[in-house]
Amino acid sequence: MTMRQTRYLVVGSSHAAIEAVSAIRMHDAEGSLTVATRDRHLPYSPTVLPYVVSGRSSSAQVLLRDAAYFAERNIDYRQGQALVAVRPTEHVAQLDGAAGGELRYEKLLLATGASPIVPPIPGIEKVEYHVLRTLDDAVGLNRAIGTARRAVVLGAGLVGMHAAENLAKAGANVTIVEMADQLCAGYFDRTAATLIEKAFTDHGATIRTGRRVVGLAPSGHGAILTLDNGDSLEADLLLVATGVRPELGYLANSGILADKGILVDDSMQTNVADVWAAGDCAQARSFYSDAKVMNAILPDAAEQGRIAGMAMAGDPGLRRYPGGVPLNTYHFFGRHAISVGNSRQPEHAQVETRFDEKTGRYLRACFLDGRLVCIHGVNEFFDGGVMAQLILRRVDLDPVRERFVAKPMVVGRELMSQLWR
Amino acid sequence: MSTATLERSATKPRYIVCEGNEAAALAVALARPDMVSVYPITPQSSLVEHVAKLVADGRLDADIVDAEGEHSVLSVLQGASLAGGRTYTATCGPGLAFMFEPYFRTSGMRLPIVMTIVTRDGITPQSVWGGHQDAMTVREVGWIQIYCESVQEVLDTTIMAFKIAEHHDVMLPVNICVDGNYLSYGSARVEVPEQAAVDAFMGVKNVNWHAALDPLRPMGVDPLTGGAGGKGPSAFVRYRKGQCQGMQNALRVITEVHEEYARCFGRSYAPLVEQYRMEDAAIALMTIGSMTGAAKDAVDEARQAGTRVGIIKIKTFSPFPIDALVAALGKVEAIGVVDRSVAFRWNCGPMYQETLGALYRLGRHVPAASFIGGLAGADMTVEHFHRVIRDTEALRHGRLSAGPIWLNEND
Amino acid sequence: MGRAYNTIAFDAAKCDGCGDCMRACARAKTGGEDVARSRIQIAAGSTGFELALCRQCGDPRCVAVCPAGALAKDGQSGIIGWDAGKCVDCLLCTLGCAYAGIALDEATGRVAKCDTCEGSPACVPACPHGALKHHTTARIYNEVGDWEDLFAPGLAGCQGCNTELLMRHTLRRVGPDTVLATPPGCVPGMGSVGYNGMAGTKVPVFHPLLTNTAAMLAGVKRQFNRAGRKVTALAIAGDGGASDAGFQSLSGAAERGEQILFMVVDNEGYMNTGMQRSSATPYGAWTSTTPVGRESKGKTQDAKNLPLLMVNHRCAYVATASTAYMDDLYDKLDRAIVAAETGFAYLHVYSPCTTGWRFPTDQNMEVARKAVETNFVMLWEYTPEQGLHLSRSVDDPLPVTDYLKVMGRFRHLSPEQVQHIQAKVEENRAFVQQISQQSQAPREPSRFAGHGGDYGKGDAPRS
Repeated sequence: MTMRQTRYLVVGSSHAAIEAVSAIRMHDAEGSLTVATRDRHLPYSPTVLPYVVSGRSSSAQVLLRDAAYFAERNIDYRQGQALVAVRPTEHVAQLDGAAGGELRYEKLLLATGASPIVPPIPGIEKVEYHVLRTLDDAVGLNRAIGTARRAVVLGAGLVGMHAAENLAKAGANVTIVEMADQLCAGYFDRTAATLIEKAFTDHGATIRTGRRVVGLAPSGHGAILTLDNGDSLEADLLLVATGVRPELGYLANSGILADKGILVDDSMQTNVADVWAAGDCAQARSFYSDAKVMNAILPDAAEQGRIAGMAMAGDPGLRRYPGGVPLNTYHFFGRHAISVGNSRQPEHAQVETRFDEKTGRYLRACFLDGRLVCIHGVNEFFDGGVMAQLILRRVDLDPVRERFVAKPMVVGRELMSQLWR
Repeated sequence: MSTATLERSATKPRYIVCEGNEAAALAVALARPDMVSVYPITPQSSLVEHVAKLVADGRLDADIVDAEGEHSVLSVLQGASLAGGRTYTATCGPGLAFMFEPYFRTSGMRLPIVMTIVTRDGITPQSVWGGHQDAMTVREVGWIQIYCESVQEVLDTTIMAFKIAEHHDVMLPVNICVDGNYLSYGSARVEVPEQAAVDAFMGVKNVNWHAALDPLRPMGVDPLTGGAGGKGPSAFVRYRKGQCQGMQNALRVITEVHEEYARCFGRSYAPLVEQYRMEDAAIALMTIGSMTGAAKDAVDEARQAGTRVGIIKIKTFSPFPIDALVAALGKVEAIGVVDRSVAFRWNCGPMYQETLGALYRLGRHVPAASFIGGLAGADMTVEHFHRVIRDTEALRHGRLSAGPIWLNEND
Repeated sequence: MGRAYNTIAFDAAKCDGCGDCMRACARAKTGGEDVARSRIQIAAGSTGFELALCRQCGDPRCVAVCPAGALAKDGQSGIIGWDAGKCVDCLLCTLGCAYAGIALDEATGRVAKCDTCEGSPACVPACPHGALKHHTTARIYNEVGDWEDLFAPGLAGCQGCNTELLMRHTLRRVGPDTVLATPPGCVPGMGSVGYNGMAGTKVPVFHPLLTNTAAMLAGVKRQFNRAGRKVTALAIAGDGGASDAGFQSLSGAAERGEQILFMVVDNEGYMNTGMQRSSATPYGAWTSTTPVGRESKGKTQDAKNLPLLMVNHRCAYVATASTAYMDDLYDKLDRAIVAAETGFAYLHVYSPCTTGWRFPTDQNMEVARKAVETNFVMLWEYTPEQGLHLSRSVDDPLPVTDYLKVMGRFRHLSPEQVQHIQAKVEENRAFVQQISQQSQAPREPSRFAGHGGDYGKGDAPRS
């Protein structure tokens, strides 16, 4: 039997994958294109899942592409077929599932995303807990919050915080346990985190930062948690949201190099020919240093996917990856926080902050040699996309710094008009 | 009883008395052109007025375009002809001069446009009267030019002109040359054919089979030919040679059409060259147009007095009927060529100049004299022709005039 | 083929920050006056005024980063639409957009962006300075691109000449049921009629005399009318042939109301034959027959205003246009096509000549635009029913020197000559404005003026 063949094989079905598909079809309308995903749904974004949990959205509403999209573009979209192995020298990918099997590709993109990290807490294997990474996870959690009375969320990242808010709004008694000494570390500074924390405590949530869970045991309707200070918490709903990491078992014996993620260059190519990687499974250059970092955020996944797709299709319009800049937004209890740039403050950086207690507006901007390194705002809207450009273009803000800190949105737009409109 | 209609019935031709311009207009109506474009000028004006009236009265279903000048008059017809229409106009003198730019082009595009020249002498000196200077000046532009002697001949020749022009072996524009004043305003009894008979005679109209401006048959009409660059002048030469061939074909077609016309309508004219009392003529007068009537009277009288004189009348002047003329010259020993215009370069009449060329083909020397008369509308009388006969007879005996003889010099 | 889309353009130089556009947007979109909620944002910058507005990108990042599928670019309109039902208010889109085109409306806590008011943006007509324009030229690309190019490939115009562009656009629009006349000049000079046995167009085409274009076309058109066939009689003529030797037949045909669409491509001289003066050549201009020497410097007479002469013929339609304003040109072409079905339609298109006017070959559109922006060329249209109406404001022109200095044919001008030209421009403007003010009914606003239009009302040509 002849092995099935495809010119392009894209593994994965979220932002990086669909942007790559779009970029390939932009340049090559004809070449055979297969998308294989372990998921059993049409493409959706992990980022939207908290809203499925809250009931704000639904599993039917969040799909980013419909079947017709793939049909019209002559794309073979295969659901429920996870990648098992890659043999780059033969240009063969092996997929599992009933209809899986081996597939010969000319160009391969690995956009397999990431999976929740389950921390090695003694007893965790004996209790029931939720994670939130797939649409099925979200639907399950949505059902569970209706009946939860005492909920514990492990991890105060954005996924955990979103879920905690949903649980609080649903009437549960929520406790958030976070190892770090603040919420949302890595996104926001302590002041911002304090504002976020206050919003949660105002809504009845309990925040336990700087605490680790050292033991888990089943109880009647859930689990008993033991913290490192000896405190014990009872939960009828336990959500583990301590981060994600890629599952890269399929790389075994492939020769494709990986660290925390698959190592890629500035066109998202791996160390082996005709294989690219993008999104949460990839480890690419940081904007701030030559180090390759995980930057598991949606805008970067889309950017990397686009670059990989263009590179695979040989699109001459390809521009190299500028390096990852963290970009996050966070909506909580009717308020919003925006975080652009590295939250870790470099040495010698100059930090400007302002806080208006009456309005709750908080701004923190960080400069190095006159250039913007990062900017965070709580209840202070500015155009994050414009800020990202100021960082990427290394625009000297010294001449306007005072005004910029006072009115980042207005001054950002002004600079935008002058520099890249 | 109307003075105009002498006899009329459903089956027989009708007879009217009318001037030459009206006879031309009636013939135009019978030929059913699609488009008539007009601009008035003496002595053509009453012709286009008659056409306009025929259109206004619904007797002629044609577009009449009152253009802003003769240049546009002919240009409108070129467009209509390329779009498939049968076309007609009339002009003379200064109008013809103004029309010259498109006039030259009409024959090159092989457009079978029919145009009456109600001939008028060339200005300046200022004159509004008859004379062949206008038509003769444009004799070398590739139009067929046929001159008429009588009002009846004006009507018949006008109908025939369309058929000659549109003949696929010809495809050239035709001038019917009608002597200003004498034929244009002169009234005579005219037999008017039935429309149905004319329709049968004319046959199917197809005037743009060769070159058309029609979205159903898109083509570039008259693009630049190769010339000095590109592919060289071969295309130009082919077109030009084709024009000359069309002119030569016209000699045959004119003859055939006249024969057919005679069969259909019972009136015949010598199509190219008419011979009058030439059977034993020792000298011949050569005439053209309406002057021929007076010339014939003079010849009749001279014959009675014992002079062996005849007349060779040129009807078709362009293409010049060399063979027919050579045949007509037979054994004549001297000719007097009477022109109604001048050939400035040769100090003679143009028909005289043309005849000299034909005489070369004759293969023997025949003394010839150039007579110029009827300028500025002057009457050509029997007496004038007696002088022509006398001088030609003298020529036969060796007394050669130094230059042209100006017949109206002292009138 | 991909599609092009209409767009809102901002001319910062004309903006005085009055905020009328923002108020209009706020009223249209929120029903209130709070300009902070306007989707178009004008801000004072250090050197002028700046604009934040959705550009309706072709490859929009806001869409790519939306996790909820709430943003999507509409393939027909090009508008990036926002689905309020799907949006989860995460604001990630604002991180994707580098142009501040989608932003938080703090009053609702949701994002808001421009949707161009369904193709009729409220902000554009609200701008009293003409700083905002709704460019609707996309239709030209989208619609015209599908029509057949009826000229043969490889017309041999000078480098940078826009007459070929004009010819191709015009004939595409007019369509195949056309008889085309191209009298001597650049138009046939570049091979439109044909050469060496090859035809230059796919429609019947001919090379009339310089002098008889309108008359020949009249005969063609009338004959097809007699045959009951609908054929457009189209002339694409030069200014010399139309305003000099060809003027009589043009005038005659116009007076008779011949059903002709007569387009003059005005490059202000006999450019095809070596850049000689015509009556359309402007004062002061160098041509090869009005050279610059010790005794005289360029043409010593003003140009004949042929389009105004055609107005005085009371043609069914008369308009002036410029290749720098193709949108306007297309509107006028559409109206001229309709008018030519019943009468004489005259369209005068100013077409700069790179070779004869002496400017770099990549500057043609810019020169054409400058001519209009300085009022050196005025764009208007006329019908007997509605009189003469200006197609764009002539009230705030650039100084004529801005136009004169961009080409070599005016390089020699003395200050007095410049003054003469400026005065002539003023006089011309006053004259045309006077006629325009006397005109009765206001013309329906054209798209060009920034309003919506209904292109394609007439039958599209078959292709």
